[in-house]
Amino acid sequence: MADVSPVEALPPASRAYGELEPPTAAPRFGMAVDTERCLGCWTCAVICKSENDVPLGMWWNRVLTDGEALDTPRQAADGSLALSFVPLSCQHCDNAPCTKVCPVGATYHGEGGLVLMDQERCIGCRYCMIACPYGVRVFNWGRAERPAVGETGMVAARPVGTMEKCTMCLHRLHDAQVPSCVWSCPAGARIFGDLADPSSRVSTLVRERNGQRLLEERGTEPKVYYLEPRRRRSL
Amino acid sequence: MPLSRRRLLKGVAAAAGTAAAGAAGLTAETVLGGRNEPGRSLPVDRVVRTTCSPNCTGSCGQLAFVRDGTIVKIQQAADYPDAVYNPRGCMKGISYHLLVHGADRLQRPLIRTGERGSGEFREASWDEALDLVATRLAAIGEQFGWDSIHVFGQVPGSGYVHKGANYRACALLGMTHGTSFDFNGDLPMGMPITFGVQNAEHEAKDWANSRLLLLVGANPVDTRIPDAHFLWDAAEQGARIVVVDPTFSATASKADDWLAVKPGTDAALGLALCAQVWADGAADRDFLATYTDAPLLVRSDSGVRLREADLRTGGSPARFVVWDVKANGPAIVGTERLGMPAGVSPSLTGTRRVRLADGSGVEARPGWDLVLEELAHWTPERAAQVTELPAERIVRLARAYAAAKPAAILMGGGSNHWFHGDLTGRAFALLATMTGNIGRSGGGFSVYVGQYKVRLDWSAWTSPGGTKAHIVPSIYFVRGRTETMHPSVPYPKQGFHGLVCTFANMFVQAMDVNRLWQTLAGLDLIVVVDHQLTDTAKMADIVLPATTWYEKTDLAATPLHPFLQLQQPAIPPVGESRSELAIWQELVRRIAPATYEQYMRLTEEQAIELMLAKGGAAEGITLEQLRAGPVRLKVPDPDIPFLDQIEKLVPFPPRSLPATLEQTAAFLPTRRIEFYKEEVRFRDLGEAVPTWKPPHDDLVQGASSHPLTLLSPHSKWRIHSTHSNNPWLAEIHGGRPFVLLAPADAAARSISEGDEVEVFNGRGRLRAWAHLSPGARPGSATLHEGWWPRYFAAGKGVNELTSSEVNPIHEVHFVANMWSPSTGWKDCRVEIRRVGPGVGAPAATTGAVPGGAEGPRDG
Amino acid sequence: MSAPALPRPTGRAMGPARPRVDPRLAAWLATLIALMAAGGGAWLYQQWNGLRVTNMRNTFMWGNYILFFMFFVGLSAGGLIVASSGRLFGATRFKPIVRVAVLEATVAITLAGTFIVPDLGRPERLLHIFLFANLTSPMVWDVTIVLLYLGLSATYVWLYTRADLAGRGSPLALGTGTSERALRRDDRLKGALAWVALPAAILLHSITAWIFGLQIGRTFWYTAVMAPMFIASALVSGLALVILLALAVRWAGRLRFDDGLVPYLGGLLAVFIASEAFLLFAELLTAAYPGAPAEGQAVTRLLAGPYLVPFLGETAFGLLLPFALLASARLRRYPAVVALAAGIAVVGIFVHRLNLLLNALSVPTIALPPGLSIGVGQAGSVGLPGAAFATSYWYLPSPVEWLVVGGVLALGAFLFTVAAWYLPLQEPDHH
Ligand SMILES: Nc1nc2c(c(=O)[nH]1)N[C@H]1C(S)=C(S)[C@@H](COP(=O)(O)OP(=O)(O)OC[C@H]3O[C@@H](n4cnc5c(=O)[nH]c(N)nc54)[C@H](O)[C@@H]3O)O[C@H]1N2
Ligand SMILES: Nc1nc2c(c(=O)[nH]1)N[C@H]1C(S)=C(S)[C@@H](COP(=O)(O)OP(=O)(O)OC[C@H]3O[C@@H](n4cnc5c(=O)[nH]c(N)nc54)[C@H](O)[C@@H]3O)O[C@H]1N2
Ligand code: SF4
Ligand code: SF4
Ligand code: SF4
Ligand code: SF4
Ligand code: SF4
Ligand SMILES: [Mo]
Repeated sequence: MADVSPVEALPPASRAYGELEPPTAAPRFGMAVDTERCLGCWTCAVICKSENDVPLGMWWNRVLTDGEALDTPRQAADGSLALSFVPLSCQHCDNAPCTKVCPVGATYHGEGGLVLMDQERCIGCRYCMIACPYGVRVFNWGRAERPAVGETGMVAARPVGTMEKCTMCLHRLHDAQVPSCVWSCPAGARIFGDLADPSSRVSTLVRERNGQRLLEERGTEPKVYYLEPRRRRSL
Repeated sequence: MPLSRRRLLKGVAAAAGTAAAGAAGLTAETVLGGRNEPGRSLPVDRVVRTTCSPNCTGSCGQLAFVRDGTIVKIQQAADYPDAVYNPRGCMKGISYHLLVHGADRLQRPLIRTGERGSGEFREASWDEALDLVATRLAAIGEQFGWDSIHVFGQVPGSGYVHKGANYRACALLGMTHGTSFDFNGDLPMGMPITFGVQNAEHEAKDWANSRLLLLVGANPVDTRIPDAHFLWDAAEQGARIVVVDPTFSATASKADDWLAVKPGTDAALGLALCAQVWADGAADRDFLATYTDAPLLVRSDSGVRLREADLRTGGSPARFVVWDVKANGPAIVGTERLGMPAGVSPSLTGTRRVRLADGSGVEARPGWDLVLEELAHWTPERAAQVTELPAERIVRLARAYAAAKPAAILMGGGSNHWFHGDLTGRAFALLATMTGNIGRSGGGFSVYVGQYKVRLDWSAWTSPGGTKAHIVPSIYFVRGRTETMHPSVPYPKQGFHGLVCTFANMFVQAMDVNRLWQTLAGLDLIVVVDHQLTDTAKMADIVLPATTWYEKTDLAATPLHPFLQLQQPAIPPVGESRSELAIWQELVRRIAPATYEQYMRLTEEQAIELMLAKGGAAEGITLEQLRAGPVRLKVPDPDIPFLDQIEKLVPFPPRSLPATLEQTAAFLPTRRIEFYKEEVRFRDLGEAVPTWKPPHDDLVQGASSHPLTLLSPHSKWRIHSTHSNNPWLAEIHGGRPFVLLAPADAAARSISEGDEVEVFNGRGRLRAWAHLSPGARPGSATLHEGWWPRYFAAGKGVNELTSSEVNPIHEVHFVANMWSPSTGWKDCRVEIRRVGPGVGAPAATTGAVPGGAEGPRDG
Repeated sequence: MSAPALPRPTGRAMGPARPRVDPRLAAWLATLIALMAAGGGAWLYQQWNGLRVTNMRNTFMWGNYILFFMFFVGLSAGGLIVASSGRLFGATRFKPIVRVAVLEATVAITLAGTFIVPDLGRPERLLHIFLFANLTSPMVWDVTIVLLYLGLSATYVWLYTRADLAGRGSPLALGTGTSERALRRDDRLKGALAWVALPAAILLHSITAWIFGLQIGRTFWYTAVMAPMFIASALVSGLALVILLALAVRWAGRLRFDDGLVPYLGGLLAVFIASEAFLLFAELLTAAYPGAPAEGQAVTRLLAGPYLVPFLGETAFGLLLPFALLASARLRRYPAVVALAAGIAVVGIFVHRLNLLLNALSVPTIALPPGLSIGVGQAGSVGLPGAAFATSYWYLPSPVEWLVVGGVLALGAFLFTVAAWYLPLQEPDHH
């Protein structure tokens, strides 16, 4: 009979591993993605699907290939090849186009500056989807389809006809645990923390590694930063 | 962190209402403007710590989150005391519950009703199935001898208890156990030949200690997902990463430099690098003299080494001779200790005349002189011709490698999976040795391949009452014995008549499967134990449903990290599935009740205790510790091979479990690192010293009639064939096999993106879909191994095309999985032709929407 | 001095409509009812299965329904332009068709509103828009203005017809009479209303334009021209439809006006088309000229890409052709020609709206492979799902979407027919 909190039930060592860096009183939660370390393995995307019971055909988190096709490099005019990956989920924009346009405020800025969804309020107009330049919102077009295993995950399924997206694993933050994709990234390429705290690991990395934000020019003020790759030293 | 915690908990109150709100669409809450936030995680029954260990080498600690008897989430345990290993795991491991509870999961024993391979079965009770298997096995045992039953069980490292149970049952009933490390083409024959060991890798975290990492035919970004970051850790410390790979692999894309070598020519590159290092005077002569056979004199007349017995009557045939430049005469070198006798400074070059016991004289040269003779052929220019790499880049690599201390060589399946992969291994072993990188943290010559490693003495479990199972290389099961097979191989007098296959998708993953199918046709009985209805299971007469590592207890280890880990049941067996041990217990009880009573009435835990009791690397490790989490074996930290040899001058080789030291020491009569092999066959085949030979299949299939080399590397999306049917991963890569072609090769065959193509050679043919990639190498195609045949447009999978040729060098000695025929998967010539328009971009075929996706591709 | 004596309601136009429905009318109404039933059924089916029965997906999240919403908002412009400009700029020649015009506006805006409903994933929560109105959302502004506009045009219809209805003793007169004073009051109100109606119309189209034009996420839409362009195209389609309906109603014998009016309307339409064409050109030039990636792409897709055909449909067919027809004073004289031009213009504007949608949505802002997750499981090989991502997406409405649209259109036709059949559409003439 299911009655244990999955966090309480963690072995001590595992639980310690996932402990959140203590945030400030008024945190601005954000993330840094190290494109140098990223392997393009999609572990972050798959654990997200599992953690949040995201049905088939829907992904809150995905890993784009900066190349010709999935896992396929791009060839420059000079014949040189390049391949890199861009993990992409909700950027939790400070100046979020999605929250502005939502007619009913079903998507809004909540705790820690996170952009959240209220599926009980959502009328399913998909205007937020139009507004989001990052294409990270997914809509429940029909009843959820799942693989044979059925409902997975640590949060309740969302109703048909409503919008959903990355919540920054708020349900885990409440237990002072890092988001699931951050936990699971085998390359340590995802760093989560409080951007309001200049000394937090994420703030430091963004500063020192010259963190860039996607579509900066759109003025959406994302809270997800991408750390530049190192310079290659060919023979 | 109380302050912040309180703030965070604020959300919970609102969250409490969520469930209720969820029930009734427009609720008071929404009307009053209350928020419905994701509050707290939903409860579970329990969280169980276990270990993911398919045939992967990851051996990653996982947590299974169970709700109502179903695994609803798998996530890395991230509980390694050595924090650099956290979190271990990948997208496959964390979605394994999709297979545990998947559509292809076997739940009940099946008995064949239709033709073999027709996939027509009826469900049966365990009693019926076990009785049937027992009687059929007994019948074969009576008629042809028990040794004519072949038990194939894949690499032991991923589960000592249940894979060990296979050996135990073989020992008890006299059945023949097969091999895996060699069969998988993973056994890097260069290692036993050179170092006298099965294999010897540095633990993955030691990569971070390197100044230069030279990756040869290894693609860790796809095939060592949990460890790849150690490369970046090294890079962050200023190390340089150089990747040698014919294709622009994911790892190549991250490297400082990428050398697009011609497939099958790594040995030539390796030799040229050695030659350059020597020419630059950058070689470590002392290291060569101290640890290798370089100074040992070789008779020019016979090609065998000069021995003490040759020089003086009563001299030992196991003591060797060097030329001492101080005394300007021969000096005797024993095998009990490395290094040189006090005062002796050996010469590494030059031909000497030595007086023999009978007074006659003979010319002799240090082994190194013969090596140099070979290296002399390998100018950068010659190597450039063979490898199709620019000569000056070879030179620059040689200098960068020699300058970086320590420098590590990471060799992978890509360059090992060749008929002459042993030569590649020997060449790079030479490079690492002559630069003194052996036995040094951050250095070494590591061949990372399968999860073969037996890290503790498991004989108490596998050899009941001291009886060992007969082991016959499974290649001989597939293609019958060879002329050159080593006489000590216990090949059954009456050949093979039955097969029990567990832990393996053998008929998909084995080489040359069309030939294998002929062998199968001649068998009286095929039993397959698996938890998925694989194509191997489909060929069986009787299929027995196995439990997964989420349903049983086992003990796992890997070469990549030195932690011993437990697999613990998170859920009860799905359906009626049973563990291998349980299955063998039932079979032995039926076949030999007395034996069962005496030897098979053990629990998994008792088996583990038996193994731990043997001490060694498991010294002091208890079951209780293991239940709590991973326990580091008693090995050096960082875990580096050959430390005793390099620091304490203990003779080579260190022991390779489970073999005895005597068995493997026989590979190295000099008890030193050997670059000169004096065995007759080495000399007859011109491989006495490291050299390069053209790919074998260029001769068998013909390079002109089959202009493309078919590379079948390992896909990041699967563990071999496992996860072929993983629904989440299929959503990413599209769920069908693609043949990666260079645009030029495609154009020449008027093949365009997404076309259905036929790949064929003299051994077989299959149909898949073409994907044009600028990263593919002109002249070679890539079809990642492992796809279940049902996902192809036609054919039995990639191994219809691969070769089962046996390299006679691999038959010079025989120790199962240690000196034994190793497979050359990548040594494969094919031609490709266009069949039809095929699928275009995968998602475009899915019909549900008129939308067309652009190119999701199987990696 | 006393006000000029207003024409008193004439018996002719005032008499109740034909006592019995003629068979052709009956057949027509029956068909419409059938279509409405089909549409309603399709919508219920969609409610049951979710929007997955449409061909909209995450990769193309707004389709037919929003398209028709935009289109009908535009169409609703006609009525109030005719009515109010008649008042404000003394364009008295409009007079005879003024009632048809306001009726057209009322029906059109009703349909526009209706089209929002099937587009919602949760129509039963429509009320949330008022319960939780988020004032920064252009959608909230738009819903408000649509309702306001509906009220306005309905009032117009009533004002223009009430006297005759009263004369006819119809309850729809709401007890008002036909006295001199009443008529004079009507007249004042009409005047006053005109001052509200014109700005309301302008707002309606601007706000609808801003739903798209304010989206920085969609570079092809993110332009100040959006509002003016919506107004211009609304003028075109609105007037064009009024012309068509007026001619139709005249053909049906429910209205009389002399052919002199037709070329006048045609000429006006030509002017509207010209201004629309100009804005479109200005927009494309501005977008294409710097060759900035995002905008550039959208435009190249228009001029070279898969959208060339609809784009030509929009410009050459939808704008140039009717303009050519109407520009010549000789051709303008033939009602058939004007009708043809008007018809083409309406279709042209529809395609214009279509392009607006296709261009902004068919390719995501970040178009790296494998792209956006489509939103529903994709059937792959042997029991496996196929790739669930797409970087480009060609949207075609599903049968369900067409049925629903058909139903709503039928509703419009039904409302207009019944109204035209029942209400007095003839403005009393002076002689
Ligand atoms: N995801 C995943 N990980 C795995 C496995 C898996 O199936 N899936 N299997 C595990 C096992 S058992 C093994 S053995 C390892 C194998 O994994 P790896 O050691 O990485 O071997 P491969 O993937 O076969 O090939 C690696 C690279 O070698 C290149 N290559 C091919 N031919 C040549 C050549 O002639 N010369 C050179 N220099 N390079 C060449 C290929 O293009 C490929 O990029 O992976 C282990 N890890
Ligand atoms: N062409 C080509 N072929 C290759 C290679 C290549 O590079 N190219 N690589 C070779 C290499 S390196 C290797 S290691 C081999 C790997 O060959 P295999 O090890 O045979 O391949 P897997 O797909 O891992 O098969 C494992 C099977 O064991 C089953 N299994 C998993 N857990 C259990 C269990 O607890 N009990 C039982 N009874 N079954 C279980 C899985 O369902 C799966 O069907 O493939 C080889 N084949
Ligand atoms: S898990 Fe980490 S390494 Fe893998 S794709 Fe996501 S971010 Fe990249
Ligand atoms: S990424 Fe998109 S969904 Fe997320 S906050 Fe920004 S605009 Fe909204
Ligand atoms: S879909 Fe839901 S969240 Fe998005 S804008 Fe509409 S109501 Fe708001
Ligand atoms: S933070 Fe949580 S919800 Fe967001 S992408 Fe990561 S796992 Fe998914
Ligand atoms: S599949 Fe291999 S790498 Fe992935 S979690 Fe399992 S063991 Fe680790
Ligand atoms: Mo392997």
